[in-house]
Amino acid sequence: MIRLRRCFAGIPAARRRQLGLLALTVFILVFPLVHDNDADIDSMANAAAYATLALGLNIVVGFAGLLDLGYAAFFAIGAYFYGVFTSFQVMPLWSDGWAPLAMLGLVEKINQGGPDLVHFTLSFWLALPAAALLAAGFGVLFGAPTLRLRGDYLAIVTLGFGEIVPIVARNAESVTNGAAGLNGVQAPRLFGWNFGVDATPYYYAGMVLVALLIFVSIRLRDSRIGRAWMAIREDEVAASAMGIDLVRLKLLAFATGAAFAGATGVFYVAKLQTATPEMFGFPVSTMVLVMVVLGGMGSVWGVVLGAAVLQLLQSWFLPDLTEWCHALGALVGNAWLQRVDFVESVELIFGVILVAMMLFRREGLIPATRPAPALSFAAQHVAGVQRGGFVGLERIGQWPKGGGNALEISGLTVRFGGLTALSNVTLTVPAGGVVAVIGPNGSGKSTLFNAITGLVPAQAGGIRFEGKDILGLKPHDILRRGVARTFQNIRLFPNLTVLENVLIGQHARLATGPVGAVLRLPRTRAEEATAVQRAIDIIALFGNRLAPRAGQTVSGLSYANRRRVEVARALATRPRLLLLDEPTAGMNPAETLELAEQIRSLHRLGLTILLIEHKLDVVTRLADTVVVLDHGGKIAEGPPDEVRRNEQVLRAYLGRAGRAAADA
Amino acid sequence: MTTFDLFLQQVINGLSLGAMYALLALGFTLVYGILELINFSHFNVFMVGSFIALWTLQQFGLSGQETILVGLPLAGVLLAAFAVTMLATGAIGVGIERFLLRPLRNVKGPAAMITTIGVSYILFNLILLTVGADSKNFPNPLPPLAFAVGGAVLRLREVLIWIVATLLMLALTFFVQRTKLGKAMRATAQDPEAARMMGVEVDRVIMTAFFLGSALAGASGLIFGLYYNFTSYLIGFNAGLRGFTAAVLGGIGNVPGAMLGGVIIGLVEAIGGQLIGTAWADVIIFAILVLVLVFRPAGLLGRLAPDRS
Repeated sequence: MIRLRRCFAGIPAARRRQLGLLALTVFILVFPLVHDNDADIDSMANAAAYATLALGLNIVVGFAGLLDLGYAAFFAIGAYFYGVFTSFQVMPLWSDGWAPLAMLGLVEKINQGGPDLVHFTLSFWLALPAAALLAAGFGVLFGAPTLRLRGDYLAIVTLGFGEIVPIVARNAESVTNGAAGLNGVQAPRLFGWNFGVDATPYYYAGMVLVALLIFVSIRLRDSRIGRAWMAIREDEVAASAMGIDLVRLKLLAFATGAAFAGATGVFYVAKLQTATPEMFGFPVSTMVLVMVVLGGMGSVWGVVLGAAVLQLLQSWFLPDLTEWCHALGALVGNAWLQRVDFVESVELIFGVILVAMMLFRREGLIPATRPAPALSFAAQHVAGVQRGGFVGLERIGQWPKGGGNALEISGLTVRFGGLTALSNVTLTVPAGGVVAVIGPNGSGKSTLFNAITGLVPAQAGGIRFEGKDILGLKPHDILRRGVARTFQNIRLFPNLTVLENVLIGQHARLATGPVGAVLRLPRTRAEEATAVQRAIDIIALFGNRLAPRAGQTVSGLSYANRRRVEVARALATRPRLLLLDEPTAGMNPAETLELAEQIRSLHRLGLTILLIEHKLDVVTRLADTVVVLDHGGKIAEGPPDEVRRNEQVLRAYLGRAGRAAADA
Repeated sequence: MTTFDLFLQQVINGLSLGAMYALLALGFTLVYGILELINFSHFNVFMVGSFIALWTLQQFGLSGQETILVGLPLAGVLLAAFAVTMLATGAIGVGIERFLLRPLRNVKGPAAMITTIGVSYILFNLILLTVGADSKNFPNPLPPLAFAVGGAVLRLREVLIWIVATLLMLALTFFVQRTKLGKAMRATAQDPEAARMMGVEVDRVIMTAFFLGSALAGASGLIFGLYYNFTSYLIGFNAGLRGFTAAVLGGIGNVPGAMLGGVIIGLVEAIGGQLIGTAWADVIIFAILVLVLVFRPAGLLGRLAPDRS
């Protein structure tokens, strides 16, 4: 045994994964051949159906962090779509207009002793993608109004939606045959061969579907789209400030998850050859959620495992356990043990699993991310020590040739209810300039940044960037135009790595869409490779501070390093104007000096900079112009030395005593 | 019955339903106002409450609709039933908060909400497994008094439901507005951090919110039984969704808003069900929920707690 383990340890991790995958594939292929038990094969086919559902919900809940409690609704939509178009429920009168469809094999003319009728005979293979598209359409329809809301409202709206769809199925009897359900749903055919009622063909079809959706999930996860979803999950505000269109990407996640469920609905109904409203109620949505939570939110293999475990628990383990208990009860003469039925209490067990996982193992059976081990001393020093300004990465920015103003703010007023956070502030940042904003706490500095980047609405005034009005644009549009920022209280994506954080910064500059991400054509590969290289280059600017830690999750980094990652992420957006909100806050004097040098070098490399800073030595060292805010208004503006002597400024900062001291 | 009488009758029914939903909505709103958490366990605390009420009434020897009480015995039995039910559900709420939600207080993301879903599911299945799937006859000890209001009938039970619900809501309003703990609760809803620094015991405030909300859910469960003459393990879902919709409609986090929202939802269900068909009542309620969330997310009366980011 030990020798066996040693033998495995010698194989590299990637190879080990390949071997594991191969073994799993062989097992799945061979299982029905060697295990001649139709009920067990059927259980496995059901597990496959639930695994596809769990994969879909994982995109919504695990990747994008949107809690969908009515996921079964999309399952129902796919199921009824296939059911209605292959059963004998809806049969309009035949007319010659149907003839072209009949030639395609989608309908046939039948006669049940009255006029000729149309019988829909939609092909299973056509129905799979069609139902996926239809469900995705419904996903957009129901997502569009609600995805703008806070995440937890989405949970309740989807809960309601999940309840409505079975109600409609129950009440729209002419189409769905109501509570009795659709019967006589057509079995799939492949090259003229009918799947029939035997479990084995469904087993293989289900496994192919699972494999396909695992593939799609992984491709999406490791792409620009997947990174954007995870950024939204980690911090919506930061995601939108980094150029991610929240509504669009949330809708995409919602629609993709719905598409998975729609396709699964087709498979499931074809397998059961019936569809009743009860098959798609709240318990189903909950069960899929339990699978995702058990396996690990965001973990593709985890949720497949979760689905398999729960489904097999239900169909294999619990009946066995019940029998054992009854036998034991008979043996010891205990009435309760003879009566107990674990299969009946499976939903109770689901509830317990949900609570227990949340309390004791939130990352699930197979965590989506594993914490990287701490770096050894040697590993921390693989990259050279970088002191002074940045070297390398020329053309990180370029000042516009004609000079002019990068940013013009005029008469900006921002109110929060009765509180005026900014009143009539006018400010200009010349292209190629470094402007510092200082002021006591609560003077409106961060509100100014939030207004420029579109995070808070302004009540009056105007903001123009490079001559174009940007006031009222969404944060991601403002970033796209070349304005990037850091946050005063650091808003990174804590559970993602340094490299991923910096890659997300490039979101707005990359083009890969969902289809491109799945197909991964050469163009996409090239784009991704360039993006990764650029991220590595930017990280390398910070020398051994960040370079050895590129693969670590940022939540484990030191405070100063997190600040550096934020700067790196902002640089990755290819800004022309960089807004730095107290970049040196919480840093010691040596680190402050280092970062100040780096900011100066960014300016030399062609970036225009607007910064908020409290440390006056940093301000004096960096800024051409200093703007002083107090109580939301601008009280002084000028070169650092001049502003330092300004009496109003002294009063704002130091109060009356300061004035007396200045007089003395 | 004329159309107007029918309408009047549905208003009477709707006000009773509304009283039930308002009490339920208060629990959602109290907890959301402070923790910004949609408490799904509330759905089935309500359902469990109706079973505790059933059990309590059975202890007084009441089982079907046959036993009628009047005078002091009636008042005593009702008072005891409400007290026992509310204390018991209040304790359940406190237990859920203390042992299952407090450890997750500072965990970001949907962990706490998922936990409440799990708790709700556990309660649901516990009742299903112990009591069974068939609905249970709920005793109604009230004398069958009825008054004619125009062509509509106003039964004694309706009057009782209105009185009880009004008293409970007045008591809650008094508590939130006038007592020290109530003030602490409002402060915590505004800004838990600041409240903590001002010496408010936030843990105690949160526990109080869970106790009060769950106790009101228990009262609501008892009212459900009195109104419909039955209870079942299934009743939590629909009533909970309506209670939540009521809270959102009034402005989640807003105490008077929850009461107003509850009454409106009750009236909409009764009158809308009459006009369009009771099978579609859920669809109507859900449509209201979505429309409010889309067009007026702050609800009718606005939110008590400002949006924290």
